[in-house]
This record gives sequence, structure tokens and C-alpha cells, in this order.
Amino acid sequence: MKILTLIRQVPDAEARVRVTNGAVDLEGATLVMDGMDEYGVEQALRLREGGADAEIVALAVGPRRNEDALRTALAMGADRAVHVETDAVLDPISLSKVVARIAQTEGIDLVLVGGQQADWDSQALGAATAERLGWPQLTWTNGLQVQDGALTGRHDVDEGNETFTATLPAVVTTQQGLNEPRYPTLPNIMKAKKKELRKDTLDQYGVTPLVRVVGAEIQARARMNRVIDGKDPQAAAAQLLELLRNEAKVIA
Amino acid sequence: MTATQDQAAQDQTKGRLIRGGGFLIQESAPQDIYTPEDFDDTLRQIADTTETFVDREIMPVITDLENKKEGLNRALLQKAGELGLTAVEIPEEYDGLDLPKAASVIIAEKTSKAGGFGVTYGAHQSIGSLPTVYFGTPEQKAKYLPKLATAEMIAAYCLTEPSSGSDAQAAKTTAVLSEDGTHYVLNGSKMWISNGGIADLFTVFAQLKTPEGNKFSAFLVERAFEGVSTGAEEHKMGIRSSSTVVLRLDGVKVPVENLLGGVGAGAKIAFNILNVGRYKLGAGGVGGAKDALELSTKYALEREQFGQPIANFGAVQEKLANIAVRTYAVESALYRIVGLIDAAIAGGTDKLKAIEEYAVEASIIKVLGSELLDYAVDEGVQIHGGVGYSQEYAIERAYRDARINRIFEGTNEINRLLIPSMLLKRAMKGELPLMQAAQKLQAELLEFSFDEDDTETPLAHEAKVIANLKKLGLLVAGAAAMKYGPQIESRQEILMRVADIAMLAFASESALLRTRKLGSPELQVEMTQVYTYEAAEKAATLAREALGMIAEGDDLRVMLSAVKRFTKHDAVNTIRLRRHVTKAVLESRGYPAPRARA
Repeated sequence: MKILTLIRQVPDAEARVRVTNGAVDLEGATLVMDGMDEYGVEQALRLREGGADAEIVALAVGPRRNEDALRTALAMGADRAVHVETDAVLDPISLSKVVARIAQTEGIDLVLVGGQQADWDSQALGAATAERLGWPQLTWTNGLQVQDGALTGRHDVDEGNETFTATLPAVVTTQQGLNEPRYPTLPNIMKAKKKELRKDTLDQYGVTPLVRVVGAEIQARARMNRVIDGKDPQAAAAQLLELLRNEAKVIA
Repeated sequence: MTATQDQAAQDQTKGRLIRGGGFLIQESAPQDIYTPEDFDDTLRQIADTTETFVDREIMPVITDLENKKEGLNRALLQKAGELGLTAVEIPEEYDGLDLPKAASVIIAEKTSKAGGFGVTYGAHQSIGSLPTVYFGTPEQKAKYLPKLATAEMIAAYCLTEPSSGSDAQAAKTTAVLSEDGTHYVLNGSKMWISNGGIADLFTVFAQLKTPEGNKFSAFLVERAFEGVSTGAEEHKMGIRSSSTVVLRLDGVKVPVENLLGGVGAGAKIAFNILNVGRYKLGAGGVGGAKDALELSTKYALEREQFGQPIANFGAVQEKLANIAVRTYAVESALYRIVGLIDAAIAGGTDKLKAIEEYAVEASIIKVLGSELLDYAVDEGVQIHGGVGYSQEYAIERAYRDARINRIFEGTNEINRLLIPSMLLKRAMKGELPLMQAAQKLQAELLEFSFDEDDTETPLAHEAKVIANLKKLGLLVAGAAAMKYGPQIESRQEILMRVADIAMLAFASESALLRTRKLGSPELQVEMTQVYTYEAAEKAATLAREALGMIAEGDDLRVMLSAVKRFTKHDAVNTIRLRRHVTKAVLESRGYPAPRARA
């Protein structure tokens, strides 16, 4: 079987981003593989290690620097990589067109994508890709196995969890709790240098963004800095209660 | 071949490589120096893996490690081995990775925040394994290196004895060839052996008794050999998670095939391995300083006094800026040297020769890195105030862990003395035209200087200040050599000052070249300015003190006016510059790493 695992590159959650000219300025920011997608790469590797005869293809659609994230996926153990290099920012629906096309041309059996994308904060990519392909979609999985060409797994719902089976091909979205992603060993980093990293252009897929980001700003969290005079403790307590109840609305 | 090596090989063929010690009399161009911004994706991935390993595997258990939980140290070192971290400098034919030296330096930088574990790692991977890597016979390599590469076997380096530390060759441990000629019998004891308690293989230095007298030699001694024993763990100020014990050798029979590097090769092995240890120790200093800066910055932003974060106060800001500025300069010097070593190796120079070539710089990096670290943790504790004295805060351990770095791998005093003495030796051997440069300087002193400042190029004035700092070093060294001749060896106070001036010049120049290579971004320009002006002020004092001992009367007056000329610089508002640097530190929540140029 062939597994396609989509990788996106996002700013490190701990890094501070800044906004320049109305857009998030990623120049010089620490960029990492989206944690959600890392679960996908790891799961693909585990399916193969669990006995599935799988070829794992890592895919990234984005600027040149995405190559670093693809190299990481290759160093983790993916077999080869496809990089659709573009500086255009694609919304999930446009992006799904590229993913679906590659899934078809590569003869993919299983597409793994993060359940949520840290940059757009959208959950649409998996659904849109499945829709385009007419494949089943399993969302927010916490467990996944492949047996005799069928997929079995588990996903958490609010009051518990459900287990499912589905036929391949399928699209699966991943999330925290699915696995603990490995990090590349030095020998695998060296081996990854020899693996294929194919470069495509966005033109080859005839995709243009449907949504354009025109501005961005960082949410400023200012404190109220209100000080309650404590000379009269009872009055202060009453005032605090009043503020918590009516202004902050944290107590009833 | 990695991209780094490709680049290095190109530089080599262009003949741009400056020789060891050459920085004092030669200029380098920005494109000639290697910087962290030049890391290729392989090195960046190695850095990431090391960082992840330390954050995921070491930091969560650091308290257990510090309390010497049985077996933990070995298990974690072997975990590092599974990732390949212990194989980086071992040749591929012995299951190693044989990566550029830059990789080993990045790892040393990234493991240092783990304190004692960084020492455990370095003692095994570097000084423990490298004697066999560089001096072993094919049989010795085949027997030991594959196991050292995975840390299945743990190594230790055993040079120091109770009565011989800095004077290493005065070791009393003896080796005697057995009558049947099949083995050597070793007797003696070795002290402060890092990894001693967990090591399986010891590189032991001893006086081999021969009819021609004692020959200082090295032996590969397995723990399993009869008569090998180790003492109890030392109770140390810091790096407590690392094992440090006495090694006792009581009539240990070492097979003749375990003599390392031949009869009398001890000094050569000991000092070459220390060269490697020295630049890596400097790398650890850079990594530790970045960690201390991060801890201190975060704390300063959280801790409120007088109704605001203490990070708002100039007294605190200045400390953060100074740590950042010095870290930038030392980091620039460190990777510049690693780049030169890798370039020489990529150009076909034997690894050991390439490392030996830059022995002066290795000593400089050792001193700069360890003193940067001590400065950073000391001010780090100060920024933390009372809680910095509490074991609940990471800075407390960092403070204790840092102190040993000025002592081991050659004390900073020994390394300072080595800098001018190695330079002098190279000059005597005709490897470095120091004398010619000193003579030229004498002539220059008699001329008036009218050269005007270039106001177009960024940092042009600083470049001139740095060029003059080098001249100042030559002036003091030349005057001392003239006055004392060979007796200069016993004028340690003067030698130390010459070393300090050379170090200040080297670090300032490295910062300047890196800043220019980056395209002179504002922050790095400011950091270079602060470091360079501080360096000029310090150098002026050092030179005056040294010359005050060397000369008197008119001679002294002439020399002091030269000092004035060589340390002259524009008036500059370094306090304002530091404030700018602090702004960047606060924004980055720690060390403001330069943005790599696209």
C-alpha cells in the first residue's frame, strides 16, 4: 500500500511571532513541522513497522523553506517526498485540490493529515480532500491499524470513544494522543539526504487560492491594573465580589 | 560530503585559509569565516535532535540524575548512543558517522544545559573515545570503536594524579614490560576521573620504564583487567550527576597490544586530545550562557517589584545585554575556528593535524567560553535575586555546574600561558611571521598616522579599532620578548596579559566578520560595537600594566603613547546600545539569534 502524509510547516508554538505590514512575519522565526501532522508521519511509520507493506510519501505544499520539514519527515523514516513549491498561501479548499490530485496520480491508499491546521486553525483539509476523492474520512483518530486491506481504529467523542472499520482508500485525520512521534536519529538524518525529494510547481496543479489574507494582527492582552483600596477590608471584599460578579463575570 | 564540507573544500582550494595563530597578523574577509548561519539542513537537524533529546530525556529526570540514581547515567548515555550522538566522530568503517567537527560542537553546545550529563557525554564521546579514534591501531579500533560508538562500552580519560594536575607529565603511575614481553604492569592512581565510576575502558597515561629512562605513554585499560578498581564518588560543588572517582591500578596486566600510539606517545596523545576537549568545552560555555540568559530573561519578565517587571529596570537590562553581547562574540569565535578546522579537513589535511594547527585558538575558545559561562550564570543568579540561591530554580544548578569549566581541560591560567608560548613557538619554527610583523610595527611607531576613517562601510571604525588591538598585542609581546628573551616564560603576569589582549582581538574580530557576513543587521552591529569598545578599554589597561613592568623612563613613555594610539576610539554611547540589545533579548525571551541570510 501507499501512504501519503501531508506535512505543514508552522511557527514553533513557543516562539513569538511578529506582524510586519499586516502579515505574520515568518522571516527568522523558528519553523517546525505542525505537531498534528507529525502524528500522521509517526502513524504511517508505525503501520509499516506493524507489518503493513507500505511506501510512505511525505507531501508539502508551500515555500522553499518547507524543504526542512520534509527532510525531517524523511529522517523520521518516510521513503520519499514531494514538494509543491509555491509562495502562494493556499486556503484548505484550494490545498485539498493539490492533495487529492497527488493522491490519485500516486495511487495512494491512505491519506494522513492533521485534524487541525495550526496556521489557519481550520479543520477542513481532511474533509475537503475526502470529498474530492469520494473516499471515506475518519476524523480525530486516537488509534489506527491496517488489517487485510481494511482500516480499523478509534476516535474520541465528547462522552467516550467510538471504534470504526473502513475500507481503503481513505482519508484519516490525526490528533494528539494517537502516538508519541519519534525524533530522527543521526544515522537516519544522514540516510535521508540520499532519499528522493521531488519538486513540483503549483502551476502543474492549476490551483489558485480562493481566499486571500489581507491583514493580521497579534492579540494584545492588556491588564486592567485596577487596585482596590484595602483600608477597609469589608468594603474591599464587597467591591471585589461586585467586580468578579458583574465585570469579570466569573462568579454568579 | 555535506554542503558544509563542500563549501569548506572550495575555500581551501581558494587558499583563503588563515593559519593557526595567523589572526594576530592577518586580516580575514567576512566570506572566509564560518558562522552558525551557515549550518546546512543536516546540521540543523542534528541540533534539533540533540535539543529534543535533552529536553525530552534528560531535563525531566535531572533531579534523579543529580542525586546519582543508580544506572540512570549509563542508561541515558546509551540512549544518546541509540540516536547516534556518541558516534559522530568515529570513522564509518567502525560503525561511526564521521561527521564534520561542526556537528560535534553543536552537540556540545546543546548538551551543556544538562550540566553534569553534558560532562558525562563529553568525557565519553570526546576525551574518552578520541584517543583510540586518532591513535589506535586497526586492531584496537576494531575491538573498541564499534562499542564506543553505541556507548555499549563507556570510556574515560585518565591523566591527572593526586600530585600532578597542570604538570601532567610529572605523573607517577608506572608501566613496566613483563619479562616474557607479553604485557605491561601498571601501578599508580589517577584522580578526578570523569565517568570513572561507569566506564569500561580507560585511556591511562603512565611512565613506561625503559633502559633509556621513563617514556610517558598511554595504555588502553579495560575495567575487567585484574587490579583495576575505582574509588567512591567525589562530593562535588557542581556537575553532580557526572561520575568522578579515583582510578587505582594495582599491578594491572595490560596486554602489549593495548599500548596506544607507541612507546613515548603519551604527551602527544594527551595534548592533542585536550585541544579537541578545549574547543568543545568552549562550545558548552556558549550553550550554557544561552540557557542562563533564557532563564534569567524569563524570570526578569515575570518577577515584579515596584509595580512592574524587573526587566524594565536599567540595572537588570544591562546584565541581560552584556550576557547577550558576550555570547554573540564567543559564539562567533567558536564557529569561526570550527569552520577553519573542518575546511582544512575537507581540503585533505589529516584530522589531527588540522586540530593541532588551531591549538592557539582552541585555548582561546576554552578560556573565552568558560569565562562567558561563569559571567552569565553569576549575573543570572543576581537577576534571580533570593530565589537564585534556591535549589528550586535551575539557575542555582547552572551556577554550580559552571565553575569547573575554568579548571578542567587545562586551567584557564595554563591555557592563557599556552597562547603566547604556542604563538612564539610557531614564530620560531617559521610557521608564523610574527617577528617580521613586530619589526614592521616598530617602524610604524616612528611614523605619524594620518589615515582617515572610512565612514561608508558599516563597522569601519570598529574594524580599525580591532586592527589596532592586534598591534597592541604585538607591541606588548615584542617588548617583553626583547626585554626578557627566553626568561619570558617566568614572567607569567605579562604572558597572561598578552593572552588576554590576543583573545579580546580575536573575539571582537570574529563578531565583526560575522556581522558583516550577515549583511550588518542593526542588532548585530550594536553587539559588535559594545564588545569592541569594551575590548579596547580592557586591552588598554592590560597593556599599561604589562608595559609598566617591562619598561621605564623614556622607553615606557613612548610605549604608553603607542598604547594610547592603539586603543583610541570614537566616543560611543554603549549604554544606549546595550538598551537596544536588551530590547531584542526581551523580545526573543533569551539569546537573540541572528536571522540567517536567505
